[in-house]
Amino acid sequence: MARNSWTRYSSRTFYAFVAPWVLGFLLLTAAPLAYAFGVSLTNFDGSSSRWRWVGFRNYVELFGDQEAWAALLRTIAYTAIAVPLSVAGAVGLAVLLNRRLKAVGLWRTLFFLPSVVPVVAMAIMWKLVLNRDAGILNAILNVAGIKSITWLVDPMAFYALIILTLWGLGGGMVIMLAALQGVPQELEEAAIVDGANRWRVFRHITVPMISPVIFFQVVTGVIATFQIVVQPLLLAETNSIAGVGQVPQSTHLYMVQVYQEFFSSNRFGYGSAMLWVFFLVILAFTLLVQRSSRLWVHYEVDTDSDR
Amino acid sequence: MDGSARISRRRLLAGSAAVAGGAAAGGLLSGCDAGSSGTSGGSGGAEGTVTLTVMYNNNELTKEHIADFEAKNSGIKVNFLQTDPTRLNAMLAAGNPPDFVRGAAVGSANFNARGLAADLTPYLEKSEVLKKDDLLAVNDSFRWDGGKIGQGAYYGIVKDWSQDATLWYNTQLFDQAKVPHLSDTEPIGYDELLAIGKKLTVKQGGKTKVYGVGLEWAWNVYAPIAMMILQQGEQLYNEDLSETDFTTAAARRAFSWYVDFAQAGVGPTSLDPLPDGADLSTFMAKRMAVSQDGYWYGGNFVKETALQANIRMAPAPVMGDKRISPTYAGQGAWIPSKSKHKDEAWKLMEYFMAGPPAEERAKSGWGLPALKSLLPKLPQDLPYQKQAYQVAQNELKSTGALPDSPYVTIDAWNLGLDKYLQRAIKKQLTVDAACQAITQDINKLLKQGKEQIG
Repeated sequence: MARNSWTRYSSRTFYAFVAPWVLGFLLLTAAPLAYAFGVSLTNFDGSSSRWRWVGFRNYVELFGDQEAWAALLRTIAYTAIAVPLSVAGAVGLAVLLNRRLKAVGLWRTLFFLPSVVPVVAMAIMWKLVLNRDAGILNAILNVAGIKSITWLVDPMAFYALIILTLWGLGGGMVIMLAALQGVPQELEEAAIVDGANRWRVFRHITVPMISPVIFFQVVTGVIATFQIVVQPLLLAETNSIAGVGQVPQSTHLYMVQVYQEFFSSNRFGYGSAMLWVFFLVILAFTLLVQRSSRLWVHYEVDTDSDR
Repeated sequence: MDGSARISRRRLLAGSAAVAGGAAAGGLLSGCDAGSSGTSGGSGGAEGTVTLTVMYNNNELTKEHIADFEAKNSGIKVNFLQTDPTRLNAMLAAGNPPDFVRGAAVGSANFNARGLAADLTPYLEKSEVLKKDDLLAVNDSFRWDGGKIGQGAYYGIVKDWSQDATLWYNTQLFDQAKVPHLSDTEPIGYDELLAIGKKLTVKQGGKTKVYGVGLEWAWNVYAPIAMMILQQGEQLYNEDLSETDFTTAAARRAFSWYVDFAQAGVGPTSLDPLPDGADLSTFMAKRMAVSQDGYWYGGNFVKETALQANIRMAPAPVMGDKRISPTYAGQGAWIPSKSKHKDEAWKLMEYFMAGPPAEERAKSGWGLPALKSLLPKLPQDLPYQKQAYQVAQNELKSTGALPDSPYVTIDAWNLGLDKYLQRAIKKQLTVDAACQAITQDINKLLKQGKEQIG
């Protein structure tokens, strides 16, 4: 003890506290990752004992798989649309509901409500709304003299999926609202005194102050949106979630393709290789966003690089 | 605190990794526990009681059936799981599958060749209840001799089945469109079916008020197309089922018919689907003139007194000279080879396939029984039931089995066919190019399957 510098707590306490996380990480993240990597080197079909090692053949095949690349590009396009709209929508709603309105609590609850509705219920509701023959959306369009649109097949299914995604932006709104309430009022007032209009205050005071939260929303949004699989399956016009073949091409995202390889083609080895490559793609995008944050995220404390 | 008592970062991480690795390895050995089969006298059961894990549909194998089975077999308790292909996969992968599983005869070659199902022939040979010579030919699709279906050992028993290409039609809608009724004995040609479908279709304000023909597109495109090819006297696969040629004249004609059907807007397709993915509600709402569903469909109309006078069943349409009216599925049950309670599972097989539930099913008209002895029990009380019975009996003369390769699944066929049908319907590909692409895609899967199965 004497040779060490002064410490408030013993190392044992530190490790006792971090051990649950480390164990959880190793058991629930690292081990499945390693297992999936092992499976990706086989031609395992998911159920029989007839499998063998195939080395990196699944990875080589993946690089020439046009369907998989098309699904990946579609996923990137979907993420590039859905994430900015979700974040901007959440900020917009939060700004609207950060004012002194009558029954503001009620409004906040109403906008937050869709984000706590289970995704299955939400998908069924939107399937009914978007139904070509009996849906309310087409009924409204018909009244306006516009012909009925088949929303849930190509190419409109893509927009239907975006609508479904945006419907749950109340969750982001609550986080943004908390961030907005942390912005010091005196800063905004000082800017107004200096002659800034509302937009300039929002642009140069509010946004930089909440930019760490926006950054958090972008990072988690990108990761979650990349991995979407249930929504396209639920929106497909089928009476069974196993009907992956009924998912329209425009919503046939990368994870849908993975699902298809696993459960329609019984190609667990190839599916695992797809997942490993996808893991690296998501990691790369996350690092890219992280890197870009130096340009637009304002921290009130010094970051490591500033010290 | 002395140095020896301290836990170094390296030791902590190494220790954790060892624990995680051990757990993972343990997981690999024991498999994931997705719902395990109980053991004799094991936990949760009385001494000497076997817990039989059954994966089936609860509207087919009901609580009442299970209670009756348990009452008649005091040493067996049933742990019921609703059919869930993903869960079944996990249980099979874990080496701890259910003891009794729902499955279709058509398409079973893939499971059988992978060694997943138990050979039921020894049980059949000893059984006093389920006898080999009482099995209808539809059960042959569950047979596998290591090379092809239709012969060799039995790997499952069919619960009930239908000639799924047969037609149900609404005479009122036919009369309104001034289309003559279909024959009860002579099949309509596919081209003629499309032609009358166009006459029967009613469109109004951009919406389809009445669909001419429903093909249950969302369920299966493989089976009807395979049937069309057989009806033209061609084969889908080569001799050893390891290759397909979907560019033959017969395959192209079948594929073209589907493209023409979709482009004519005669019925629902995957590009213009019904909201519930099935024809029934639309047919019952008198918004569909013809629905291509089997005998089982008649079970839906027992209480529909207003509809009964206007519905009839017609033979399966033909494309070519050869009349074949196969089943597209033949739902039944199989016992996994790794089941720990095969004897008890066989008892359930006997009870469910030949006992009171089988008789109950036959009398209800929800499909044809898979046993010859139960055929006379089909309902003929109502006029529409009598007519359907006669059509179905006549169709039995044309029963044939669909091709089934062990190296590719029906799901994979459906995915491939529908993908290229959509492109051909949207005119992104010609029929010839689509058929060429299907051949390439399926042959790739067949090659992978052959490599795996050997």
